[in-house]
Amino acid sequence: MDYIILSVTLLAIGIVGLVTKHDLIKMLIAIEMITAASIMNFVVFGSLLDNSVGQAFSILFLSVDACVTAVALALAIAIFKKFNVRDVRELSELEDEETKEPTVEAK
Amino acid sequence: MLFETALAIGMIFSAVFAIYLKETVGAVLSLSTMMILLSVLYFYLDSPFVAIFQLALGSGTAAIFLLAGDTLTKKNDEKTSAKTVLVGIVVSAFLSIPVMLGNIFTESLIEPLQLSLSSALWDLRSIDVLAQGLVVLTAALGVVFLLKEERRRK
Repeated sequence: MDYIILSVTLLAIGIVGLVTKHDLIKMLIAIEMITAASIMNFVVFGSLLDNSVGQAFSILFLSVDACVTAVALALAIAIFKKFNVRDVRELSELEDEETKEPTVEAK
Repeated sequence: MLFETALAIGMIFSAVFAIYLKETVGAVLSLSTMMILLSVLYFYLDSPFVAIFQLALGSGTAAIFLLAGDTLTKKNDEKTSAKTVLVGIVVSAFLSIPVMLGNIFTESLIEPLQLSLSSALWDLRSIDVLAQGLVVLTAALGVVFLLKEERRRK
């Protein structure tokens, strides 16, 4: 079994999820998956090359990834409290160019 | 070999279901399962520190964050139909074929650095370990400001 194929497969599933899903939490799940696939490469190559630098950088990326998730979730909660939506399509203001009104109104 | 392949197939199945399940709780649990299998793979690859980090942050903390986010932004999830589950199983089985059969030649000409993890962490990247603490603090501040702003508006 080749780890690169597994990593690319997980990356592809994550990208497909990010593109096709419009729910904020689902998009975050897809982002988590993409990050996990990329971190896997560092660990696998570090292990195959008998090199600890891969592990050291993986630990950095994992902690930064947790920070990214926390901030993104705080943004999602703030958006939900302000607009009462979780669908990113409903947040777009580009649809109503004629009326010049936002698609969703602040509470 | 068989163990690795079984882990990889489990990861692909749980990744597909994390994306395609309509209930957010089920999707988060699938993602968590994928992360647990990934950390088992890291243990298998002799990277126990990353495996522990993956288990604690990737599987535990991220799942708690996502479930908390789902609870705080509650909407009525649709039920996943049996047809969607069937399509998910077929897609996962199809995506598992390259993992079972594929092999890419990856011989490297790079000489290994022969560093232990502690020396790689503290000798090679001591400055950015400190910067990593700054990143975590900045993220915590960001979360506090985002949620505090809402409270002030109320």
